[in-house]
Amino acid sequence: MATTTLTAPAAQVLVRRRKKRSLVPYLYIAPFFVVFGVFGLFPLVYTAFISLWDWNPIGEKAFIGIENYTTLFADPRFWNAAKNTLVIWILSTVPQLVVAIVLAGVLNHALLRFKTAFRMAVLVPNITSVIAVGVIFTQLFGRDYGMINWIIEAFGGQGIDWQSGTLTSHVAVSTMVMWRWTGYNALIYLAAMQSIPASLYEAAAIDGANPVRRFFSITIPQLRPTIIFTVIISTIGGLQVFAEPLIFGGQGGVTGGSSRQFQTLALFLYEQGFRNFQFGYGSAVAWALFVIIAILTVINLKLSSRIASE
Amino acid sequence: MRTPPRRTAAGIAAVAALALTLGACSSGGDNSPAANADATKTGQTLSVWTFGATGLEDSMEAWAKETGNKVEFKLGEFDPHHEQLLTALASGAVPDVAVVEVSYSSTFKQSADFFTDLTAFGADKLESDYLDWRWAQGVADDGRIFGLPTDVGGLAMAYRTDLFAAAGLPTDQAGVEGLWSSWEEFLDAGRDYKAATGKAFLDDTGVLFQTLYNQAPEKFYSADDKELIYDTNPAMRNAFDVAVSASDVSANLAAFSPEWNTAMAAGDYAVQLAPAWMLNYIQGQAPDTAGKWNVANLPEGGGNWGGSQLTIPKASDNAALAYDMISTVLSPENELAVFKATGNFPSVPALYDDPALTEYTSEFFSGAPIGTIYSKSAKALKPVYEGPKERQIQREFTNGIDRAETGAETPEQAWKSTMDAVEREVK
Repeated sequence: MATTTLTAPAAQVLVRRRKKRSLVPYLYIAPFFVVFGVFGLFPLVYTAFISLWDWNPIGEKAFIGIENYTTLFADPRFWNAAKNTLVIWILSTVPQLVVAIVLAGVLNHALLRFKTAFRMAVLVPNITSVIAVGVIFTQLFGRDYGMINWIIEAFGGQGIDWQSGTLTSHVAVSTMVMWRWTGYNALIYLAAMQSIPASLYEAAAIDGANPVRRFFSITIPQLRPTIIFTVIISTIGGLQVFAEPLIFGGQGGVTGGSSRQFQTLALFLYEQGFRNFQFGYGSAVAWALFVIIAILTVINLKLSSRIASE
Repeated sequence: MRTPPRRTAAGIAAVAALALTLGACSSGGDNSPAANADATKTGQTLSVWTFGATGLEDSMEAWAKETGNKVEFKLGEFDPHHEQLLTALASGAVPDVAVVEVSYSSTFKQSADFFTDLTAFGADKLESDYLDWRWAQGVADDGRIFGLPTDVGGLAMAYRTDLFAAAGLPTDQAGVEGLWSSWEEFLDAGRDYKAATGKAFLDDTGVLFQTLYNQAPEKFYSADDKELIYDTNPAMRNAFDVAVSASDVSANLAAFSPEWNTAMAAGDYAVQLAPAWMLNYIQGQAPDTAGKWNVANLPEGGGNWGGSQLTIPKASDNAALAYDMISTVLSPENELAVFKATGNFPSVPALYDDPALTEYTSEFFSGAPIGTIYSKSAKALKPVYEGPKERQIQREFTNGIDRAETGAETPEQAWKSTMDAVEREVK
């Protein structure tokens, strides 16, 4: 009944007010969506568009449909890069996360002095420029004048040509990735460890559990959600490794050495798009990389949450 | 919701992908003629992108000082420099002057409308100053002049006199040239050197390969119909085989890598095959070796490796001023001065009989008559056709040589895998 007695202008005011109110929340969240749209969504869609073309940025462009993709799946260089990427990812991520948990345990230890100083110190590699890390490690892993070979030779061993071997080059690149990200992950684990209730540890100690047992039976299970988070983040980052192998390879960095022995997918993308000026093919590589990362992330998520729920 | 900050390593790829799209969406460039700008402006800053091999930086600074302007250099590595130039042309954020090396000139030639046509400034009148084929490398198929030639990379070799003496080899130019009349004999001498000293004779088989195939009249493309002949050209196969057979006397260093620089300064190898611009490089990288080098002619004739064009991208705001600068620093007189200062050899044939050049000797290279050596080499030069995929093919060949050198593949496997790799690049 009340609504029928409202005069026309009053109804309009109500409608207008409702409109105004509904606009405000969108404005609040707009910055994210605008930035995401410009720097995330648009490039994504535009890259998909270019990938259907034979596209020379300063030359001819021709629509070729899915030909870039059919070429890509038949291209041994693509599968080689995919394999290298996976190996480097596993070689760097697994030891990295294990070391990070142990490091976090040490940093969390009640008997440790100068806690803040150590916590800051583990983050230093992460804020170091990736270029600087690459240059320094490339010198350390140098064949003729590198310090690592120098030490190996001082102990009577034979110097290693790190760059020309497949596994040795993967180890060298993985070392750089590990060096940069272990401290970062350690701090995330540390934060999670500090939110584990102390009462759990006290109860376990009273029941006679030693520190190792407490670590595996309390700390690790309590860290599960955090471990899932770091695994996913490491997957996304690890599959896009670019600067480390590029710098490690020097002049031959873009092809990942003369046999493409450490060319990652991101490098292959760069080689095709920016070195050979085939933007279309490079875009197809970019999309393939995107799909691979998406698939692996979903698998990771499924796998880790099953472990977590057990 | 927000992306965690663990992205820096990946960030470069993301930025690259972004640049890719941004670059692509503004392609087309600015096609308005920039020729009406004033060439007598002062107080301007010209940006110059270079990979650092032309030896022209000092001349450009001098020009800037004289005209009351400034130059700002951006020095990149060889391939990244050209890659950045490409994305810059596509996006319009270009330098005023860009160096384009000859192995890329055919690539950029196809997009000559992204560069200022220098005919507008009267560049066509300069044609007779320069070597015909060096000039032609800066002219597009439709006759547009998009670049002026810098130096020419006539071939010779630099060797360490102190290391040769220690190995019991002659050290004077005539004596050294007398050691070999063919590349086979050259490598035999290298084996003697290695037997005597236990040290490498050459730096890198890849450098030997580039020198060898640059002596040939045709490389990857045929001269007359411009077809790909990299797989059938006997000169390519020969260069490949000879280079691979030199693995045992090579230090197996990647040319232009930090380790190569270190070895050059430390005297870990005795011979540096040297296009003229390499003399500039040696003096810069190994200044302490002054007086320990000498220069000799190559066995089996001369050839050309390298050289560049100076170009002015169309989107430059200061095209007229930029032209004033490049035509000044590339004038015959200045090319002679640059040669004396750096070793970069002029592309101006009139100078090849000029005593100011032929009588020039270099202190750094033990008084070697480099003026005579390189002018002889440059006079013997025949133009070689270079095609649009020149650099890509070159890179795959060098990778193949390296695979054989490191033992990753046998020479026969390396040749085959190189053919496959090149085919994939050019199709």
